[in-house]
Amino acid sequence: MRYSPSFARSSGLVPVLVVLAVLALVPLLSSNMYLRHLLVLAFVFGIVASSWDLSLGYGGLFNFAHVALFTIGTYAFGLVGQTLGLSPWLGIVFAGVAAGLVAALITLPILRLSGIYIILVTIAASQVLYQIIISQSDITGGTSGMVSLPALDLFGYRFNRGGKVGYYYLALLMLVASTFILYKITRSRFGRAIVAMRDHKYYAISRGMSETRTRLFTLTVSAALSGVAGGFYGSYMRVASPDNFGLGLLGLLLSMLLLGGAGTIWGPILAAFFVTMVSEVFAAYGAWRNIIMSLLLIVILIFYPGGLWALLQTFREALDVMRSQATASLRRRFGRGQREAMTGAHETMVATRHGRIAVADTGGDKPALLFIHGNSSAKEVFANQFKALRDRYRVVSFDLPGHGVSDNADPEKDYSVEAFADVAEDVLKALGVTSPNVFGWSLGGYIAIELAARGYPMATLAISGTPPLRVVPEDVGRAYDATSHFVLASKTFLSPAESRDFAASTTGPRTPQTAHLHRAVRRTDGRARAYTLGKLQIVDWPRQIRFLRSAAMPFAILNGSNDPFLNHQYFRDLKLEQWTGEPDDIHDGKHAPFLLKPAIFNEKLEAFLRAAEAASRRDAEAIAQ
Amino acid sequence: MTDTLLLDVRGLDGGYEPLQIFRKIDLSLVQGASVGLFGPNGHGKTTFLKTLSGIIDPWDGDIFFDGVQLNRPGARGSRRWRNFNYDAITRRRMDPKAVARAGLIHVPQGNLLFPDMTVAETLSIAPYASRGRANAAETLDKVFRLFPRVHERLSHKVRFLSGGERQMVAIGVGLMAAPKLLILDEPTLGLSPKLRGELASAIQTIRGSGVPLIVVDQDIAFLEELIDTLYLFDHGRISRRIEKADMPTHEEIMKLMFGEDHH
Amino acid sequence: MTLETLNLILLGGIVLGALYALMATGLALVWTTLGIFNFAHGTFIALGAYIAWQIASTEASGAGLLAGATVSIIGMFVIGMLIYYLLIKPFERSPDIVVKSVITTLAGATILENVINLVWGPRNKQLSPLLGGDMSLLGITISRNEMAVVALALVILAALGVFLQRAPLGRAMRAVAQNREAAQLMGIDVERLYAIAFGLSAALAALAGILIGSTRFMNPSMGSDPLMKALIVVIFGGIARFTGPIYAAFIVGLLEAVMTYLVGLYWSPTVLFAIMIVVLVAKPEGLFGRYRKSV
Repeated sequence: MRYSPSFARSSGLVPVLVVLAVLALVPLLSSNMYLRHLLVLAFVFGIVASSWDLSLGYGGLFNFAHVALFTIGTYAFGLVGQTLGLSPWLGIVFAGVAAGLVAALITLPILRLSGIYIILVTIAASQVLYQIIISQSDITGGTSGMVSLPALDLFGYRFNRGGKVGYYYLALLMLVASTFILYKITRSRFGRAIVAMRDHKYYAISRGMSETRTRLFTLTVSAALSGVAGGFYGSYMRVASPDNFGLGLLGLLLSMLLLGGAGTIWGPILAAFFVTMVSEVFAAYGAWRNIIMSLLLIVILIFYPGGLWALLQTFREALDVMRSQATASLRRRFGRGQREAMTGAHETMVATRHGRIAVADTGGDKPALLFIHGNSSAKEVFANQFKALRDRYRVVSFDLPGHGVSDNADPEKDYSVEAFADVAEDVLKALGVTSPNVFGWSLGGYIAIELAARGYPMATLAISGTPPLRVVPEDVGRAYDATSHFVLASKTFLSPAESRDFAASTTGPRTPQTAHLHRAVRRTDGRARAYTLGKLQIVDWPRQIRFLRSAAMPFAILNGSNDPFLNHQYFRDLKLEQWTGEPDDIHDGKHAPFLLKPAIFNEKLEAFLRAAEAASRRDAEAIAQ
Repeated sequence: MTDTLLLDVRGLDGGYEPLQIFRKIDLSLVQGASVGLFGPNGHGKTTFLKTLSGIIDPWDGDIFFDGVQLNRPGARGSRRWRNFNYDAITRRRMDPKAVARAGLIHVPQGNLLFPDMTVAETLSIAPYASRGRANAAETLDKVFRLFPRVHERLSHKVRFLSGGERQMVAIGVGLMAAPKLLILDEPTLGLSPKLRGELASAIQTIRGSGVPLIVVDQDIAFLEELIDTLYLFDHGRISRRIEKADMPTHEEIMKLMFGEDHH
Repeated sequence: MTLETLNLILLGGIVLGALYALMATGLALVWTTLGIFNFAHGTFIALGAYIAWQIASTEASGAGLLAGATVSIIGMFVIGMLIYYLLIKPFERSPDIVVKSVITTLAGATILENVINLVWGPRNKQLSPLLGGDMSLLGITISRNEMAVVALALVILAALGVFLQRAPLGRAMRAVAQNREAAQLMGIDVERLYAIAFGLSAALAALAGILIGSTRFMNPSMGSDPLMKALIVVIFGGIARFTGPIYAAFIVGLLEAVMTYLVGLYWSPTVLFAIMIVVLVAKPEGLFGRYRKSV
C-alpha cells in the first residue's frame, strides 16, 4: 500500500479545525442574518467550485457545463420536491443523481476530444440544456423558473426557522462532506490516475489506464457533488431559475476556481469565501461590480496564476523559513557544546559560495575522510564514525545549507545537488584538505558522486542508501519503493507527526541517541527538500553514471539490507563495478546502517579504505619502476 | 578579436525550463569559415541551434554576430517569488526576427514549412521581412538555377511535394533572406542517396558562392567537404573541436564519441 | 409549401448566412492565426454597433451612418489590437494559452458588455438602415437594406480573401497560422501580425454589428447570440480553408431559416447546437476541414 500521509497527521489539520470552529460559532455569536446568508452562499459555491476543480484542475477536462449541472440540480430538486410532491430530502439526493447522469451523457461525445473542443461542446451542451428546460414551461415554469420550492423539514424541525440556522449548519456539513470526498479521491490511486491522464496521457494509457473510464468517473463525480449543492440551493432559495444557465453564474464560479488556484481543492473553497465577500462589498456598485471582478480575475490570471492558495502557501513558507532560520541560529549559539560532545570534534563556520556552513573537523595530518549527510539530517548523524575513526583519519563533516546549524539559503541558487557539491568543494578547500575519501549517505551519496563526476580529485568514493540514477524521472520509480515515507522527502511542510515518521524511517525511532536527529528534521528548511528534489531532473545523471561505469576510482556501496526506501534488486541490476563485486549489505542496517550498526559499518568502511590505499600504493610503485 | 569573427558564442546555457539541455557552449566562426556540428540525437544540437536563432530564449551566455550582440545583455532575472508569473513582465533575451534580419538564417530540421501555401507563395514571403528584399528577383533566379525542381513545382502546394523537394524549398527560402550565415540542421535527413547527392552538390555551390555555413549532419563524409572546423556535441556540451586537417573517419568518430563500450 | 414561402425561407436564410459569414470569418481569422478562441467576439460586434450609433446620431443625418461606420470599424481595429496586447499576449509563452485566453476573453466580454450598459443604457436602439425602402425579388418583397447587407458582406469577404491570397501581409498571416516557427525564422514579426489579425477580426465584427444593428434592434447583450452562432458556424465549417466558415455560414443560415419554419424560433437554436455537437464528435475538423492538431 502506498504511503500517503493522512489528513489527520498533516499540517493542515489545525487550521482547518480552527476555521470550522469559527464558522460553527458564527450563528451563535452574531444575529446578522445577511452575514449568515453570505456564508451559506459561500458554502454552496465552495462545493461547486471545488468539485469543478476535480474535473478541470486535476483532470484537465474543461467541462464548461459544470455550472449548468448545478442548475440542473436545482430543477431536479424542484421536480421531485414540488412537481412530484415527494420528500425534499429525496429531492436533494435525486439532484445529485440527475446531475451525474446528465454529466455521463455529456461525457459520451467528448470522450475523444481535447482542449478547446471540450470547452465548445460543453458550452453548447449547457445551451441545449437551457433550451430544453425553458421549453417545458408547464413543468419548469419556462423563463420564469419554478418558485415556492419546498423547505427542508427534519422530524418536525422546519429549517426555515430561526433565521434559516438549520440551512446554515446543513450547508456547512455538506461542504465538509464534499471536501472530505474530494480529498480522499485526490489522494487515492484514482486521483493520481486522473492527474497522470492529464499530464502524460499516452504513457498512462500504455500502463493500462482507461481514458473513457477515467473521464466518465471524474465528470460524473464532480457533477454529482455539484448537483447535490444545486438541490440544496433550490431548497434554500426556494426557486429554480433558468438565469443560472447563463454566463453570469459561469463567470462567477470560474473566477472562484481560478482565483483560488486550480488543482488544489482548498483554493477554490477559499476563493468562494473571498469572492462572495468581495462581491458583496461591491454589490452597491451595480454594473461596476462585474467589471471590477472581471478585471481582478484578469490581473490575477496574468500575474499570479497560482491564485489565493499559492499566495497562502507563500506566506506560510515565509513564516516557516523564519522559524527554521531562528532555530538554526539559536542552536548554533547555545548547542555547540552538546554537538561537539557528540562528534568529539571542533565545530566552526566556513563561508562558501552558498552561505555559511557549519563544519566539524577532527583536524590533524592524517588521510581525510569526508562524510556527507542526507535529506533533512545533520552532520551529527555520523557521531559513531567520528569517534571510531578519528585516530587513523581526519574526519570531516558539514551541515548542508538549510540543515543543522548552517544558514538557510536562496532556494533558487543554493538548494540543489550541484550547489551542495559546490559547498563540499569550498569546505574542503577552506580546511586545506586534498584528495579526501568521500562517503555520502542518501542525498549525500548523490552529492558525493556529483563531486567525483566533476573531476574533483578524491581518493575513494563510498555511498549508502543512494541508488545511482541513469534517467530521471523513470529510474526514480525503479530505484525507490513508493510504499515508504519517500513521499515526505520532497514535502516543504512537515507536520510533527510527519517529521517523526520521516526521522524514524531514515534514522530510527526516537531515543535519547536519535533525539538530536529527530530535531534536525524539524529544523530543516522545507524549501531545501522541495527545491533539491524538484531540481532532480537537471542533475547531469548521464555524467554520473558514465563516471561510475568508468571505474576510475575505488567505489563501495554499503547499504542496509532492509533499507525501506530502496528497491534492492535495482542495485544488482545496475551491475556497477565496486569493491566487493556485489553490494555488500549490512544486515538489519535499515536506511542508516552507520547509525544502527556502527561497529559492522565502521569495520567494512575501514577495510575498503585500507584496501584502496594499498592498491594505490601498488600502482604508484609499479609506475615508479 | 571580435571583428574578425563572424559568429562568437560565449558560454551559452539553455534548454526547456526547468530542464537544461546544453551548457557552456563556446563556438566561433572566423569570417569566411564554415563549421559542422556532429553528435548523437537528443544531445541538444537542435535546441542549441534554435537558441542561436532566437526561437528559444538562452538562459545565460552571449551571442555576437558580425560584431553585434544579438542577445539582451545580462542573465535571466532571479525569480524570488515562486508563483509570480515573471513571463508577464520580463522581456526575452533574444528576438528571432532581429536575428533573421541581421542575416543569421536558420533552416530548421524537418521541413514542414507552410503546408497550404504554394511554392511560389512561400518564396514570395521569404524576403518579406529580411535583408533579401532588395535583390529578391535576382536571388529567386539563383534559387531556380540551384534547384530546377523547385521551379517546376511553383504552383503546387507545399504539402504535395516530396521530402526532397520540400527540403530544397526550405533551403531556397533560407537563401531568399540573403544570409550572412546559413545554418542547415540535418539537410539530407531521410532522403534517398540520389537526392542526398543532389542536395549535397547544391549546398556545395552555396558554400562556393561565399555563404558560410553551420551544418549539422550524421554523415561525416558529407560534412568533411563543406566545413573547416568540426565541433563534437555530447550530452549538451562541446566535447571536442577538430580542425579540417585532423578530420577523422566515421569509425574514428564513433570510437571517439562512444568509447569502446556503448551503454 | 408555396413557392413564395420557399423563396421567403431561401432569402431569409441567405441574409442570415451573409451576417453569419461576416461574424464567423472574424472569429476564424483569430482561431487560425493565433490558435485561440475569442469569447469577446460577440461584444466586439455589440461595441461596433454602439460606436457607430454614437457617431451616427451625433452627426447630421445623411452622412451619419457612413461616418459612424468608418469610425466604428477603424476604432474597433484599434481596440482589437489593444485587447490582444492586454489579454492574450501576456500568455504567449504559457503552455495552456488556449484555456487562459478563453477565460480572459470571457472576462473581457463581461467587462465590455457592462461598459456598454453603463455608457449607453439597456434600452433598445437602432441604427438607420443602409438603404431605405423595399424591392421585389423572386416574387416576394424584401427590404433593400437586407439585400445591401448581403451584397456588402460578400464584397468584404471577397476582398478579405484576395488580401489573404495576394497581399504580402495576408500571406504572412497565413504563414504564421500554418507554421509559427518557420515564419519567425524568416524574420516575420509574429507579434505584430497577431495584433493585426486580432484588430482585423474586431473590425469585421464591428461591420457585422453595424449590419445587424441596421436590420434589428441593438441592446448591450446583442452579441451573445451572434457569438453562439459564429461558434456553430466555425465548428461546422472547420478552419482549414478560408472559405470553410463562409460556406458553413450559408448552410447554417439556410438551416436556421428552415428550422424556424418547421419547428419554430424556439427550438431552432437547440437543433443547431445538437447538430454542432454531432459534427464535433463525428468530424472535429468540421465539414470542410482537414484534421490538424487540436487547437
